Amino acid sequence: MVRKIKNRNMKLNRWLFLTLLGVPFAHPALAADGDADITTLKQQIDDLDQKVRVLERQRELDQDAATNALKTQPRFKLDSSGFTLSSADTNFVISLHGLIQFDSRSFFDVPTAGVRPGNFLLRKARPILTGTVFHDFDFNFTPEFGGGSPSIYDAYINYHYNPALQLEVGKFKSLVGLEALQSDTWLFFNERSLVNNLVPNRDLGLQLHGNLFDGVASYAAAVLGGTPDQVSPSNTDPDNNVAFAGRLFFQPFKKSDTEALQGFGIGVGGSYQNDEKSAANLSSGYKTDGQQTFFSYTTGVVADGRHWRISPQGYYYYGPFGLLGEYAISDQKVSSAAVNDDLKNTSWEISAGWVLTGESDSYNGITPKNPFDLRKGQWGAWQVVGRYAELDEDEDALADGLVAAGSASKARAWSAGLNWYLNRNIRANVSYSHTEFSDIGGAGGSSHASVTDRAENTLFTRIQLAF
Amino acid sequence: MKTLKIILVALIFAGAVHAKEIKLLNVSYDPTRELYQEYNTAFAKYWKAKTGDDVVVDQSHGGSGKQALSVINGLEADVVTLALASDVNAIVDKTHELPADWQKKLPDNSAPYTSTIVFLVRKGNPKGIHDWNDLLKPGVSIVTPNPKTSGGARWAYLAAYAYALETSGHDDAKARDFVKQIYKKVPVLDSGARGSTVTFAQRGVGDVLLAWENEAHLAIKEFGADKFDIVTPSLSILAEPTVAVVDKVAKKHGTTEAARAYLNYLYSDEGQEIAAKNFYRPRNQTIAEKYAANFSRLKLVTIDAEFGGWTKAQKTHFGDGGVFDQIYQP
Repeated sequence: MVRKIKNRNMKLNRWLFLTLLGVPFAHPALAADGDADITTLKQQIDDLDQKVRVLERQRELDQDAATNALKTQPRFKLDSSGFTLSSADTNFVISLHGLIQFDSRSFFDVPTAGVRPGNFLLRKARPILTGTVFHDFDFNFTPEFGGGSPSIYDAYINYHYNPALQLEVGKFKSLVGLEALQSDTWLFFNERSLVNNLVPNRDLGLQLHGNLFDGVASYAAAVLGGTPDQVSPSNTDPDNNVAFAGRLFFQPFKKSDTEALQGFGIGVGGSYQNDEKSAANLSSGYKTDGQQTFFSYTTGVVADGRHWRISPQGYYYYGPFGLLGEYAISDQKVSSAAVNDDLKNTSWEISAGWVLTGESDSYNGITPKNPFDLRKGQWGAWQVVGRYAELDEDEDALADGLVAAGSASKARAWSAGLNWYLNRNIRANVSYSHTEFSDIGGAGGSSHASVTDRAENTLFTRIQLAF
Repeated sequence: MKTLKIILVALIFAGAVHAKEIKLLNVSYDPTRELYQEYNTAFAKYWKAKTGDDVVVDQSHGGSGKQALSVINGLEADVVTLALASDVNAIVDKTHELPADWQKKLPDNSAPYTSTIVFLVRKGNPKGIHDWNDLLKPGVSIVTPNPKTSGGARWAYLAAYAYALETSGHDDAKARDFVKQIYKKVPVLDSGARGSTVTFAQRGVGDVLLAWENEAHLAIKEFGADKFDIVTPSLSILAEPTVAVVDKVAKKHGTTEAARAYLNYLYSDEGQEIAAKNFYRPRNQTIAEKYAANFSRLKLVTIDAEFGGWTKAQKTHFGDGGVFDQIYQP
């Protein structure tokens, strides 16, 4: 449009120029007519000039309006982190994430009267809804549809005044175990180690937490409902007592110039609770890597008073290398009709990984440099992993007749595996786990003899989608 | 003598220790940039001398209606200095962050300076525009912002309306038609007064800009007296830009004292002089007389007398489905 008007202006100008040249030679009457024409033409040019200016200005204003409108329009983002919708000022954010894990477990050397679980399972199926309202209030709602019956895993509201001062209320991961706090998405193996048997899973309550000095230190202090080892409670606190949990973790060299030290972290988590006399406050049993129960207390044994846990823990990541270790003590008073005991159960593990394709490992996962794409000849990231873990139940438990028939008071497990990160969202892995049992005995309750009468040898596979 | 030196050093040190920096956000309308740039410097000096504290005033400018909406939507203004009372009223109604009687908190209905609407025309006034009725001459193109978003535009609209009422024996239908004809001649509606000045002065659109008096003077100062002339119509409107502390925000920021002082100081001799120098009509008569040459004499009608106050005028003329919506077809 503008070009057309400019062309027309040029034609008019040429005509005007020729006309002006001819004016001195024209007849006076013709000259008068010419003057009128020139005036008209000038007027037309002025009008056209104004139209062009108006159009140009209007275009400017339209562009400004479009730019301003963009500033106030909600933003939608879709990438490997999931779907995110946020208000223009980011005070309101809602994100949809998800986790699907489809596993197989193949048990070798199954006894004749085989009781090993089936091969395939939908281990986890979680839509994860997170977000922020009014800038400072975050939330997380994570139901679990995998495994058994549907349940709510996480449901909390977190007020973050700043990174150093946050208050979280609801149902969330407890604070004791390092591997327990790591995202399911980025574990070295399909299942957490034996240590996970001695730390709480989720709990209900509130925690004050934060990161200090740009994440060099972090702290958390919680008042919780209290939960038995390895248990994620239902949506209600089972008794009237409260538990206290805390955690301190340091990455002292996070800001250091020495790259080899930046990925070092060390800390301690712990909890204290005073359990009411109830079987519900006692662990329902300890599980192998293959998720078979190899130890439980016999019928009539109940939690009875003080229960504390402590877990020194640490990790080290440098380039493709990753190392994670933790030790846990779960000291709990129990009683039966015949005895009162203070049982100190311990467990530890060390696990390590090496990314064969060179990507950097971290507590928060691996990002393949060359996501899987056959057309481009890209194969994602590959990682080999290994782990050794032990769990020792207090020997008094067996000696005092507190354990169910066939329970093993000691378990030692090693595992090795290969993880294939096709991209940030898809992962496939295969691993083999060998668990040996000792100090087997006990009477009454559900017998675990079919699990503990020989070593457990299991081949795991998994296809995982996480976004 | 030595003791005196020690005391002096101690006092200076104590002052340095106790001095704090106070930040204020002044959310204002389009043409006040230059006024508050100068005023903020003067107030900071005054406040430093009075309290020892440093005060930094951040400014935000835009169409008055848009600015009010920003405050309603959460922009944390310690003070607002808007083009008209109805924009402050909108903040009161929607947020309750300042009391309903806010206009009584400061003298002159919280309007420390006034202004009016004049015409800025191209040099030599080639279209012969001398009064409102000349705007309807064939071939005259008018530039004015959108009354929906600009306070200055609302004042201009009402000034035209008042002129039409005055010249038609208060025939509302004729006045409405007069204003309708004016807006038919507006090719571009900017969202604020500064935008319209750009449209007229920099982009060369139109023959006349319906401008704030101070904005017209500023355009001449900025672009040169050889480019434009100011034409004062026979009648215009007494525009009373209003100021207010947004109490709840100031309380939250801990700036209440400084915010109140900031607005009160607008009524001081220095504040009034700065307003006059920036072509706002001061309330202080002595200073008004000193700067009388800056301001043409003309008949000024008031919003209260002619339109029954801002609340009524806002609803009748600028509310959704009001007179402006009825007469203006983009």
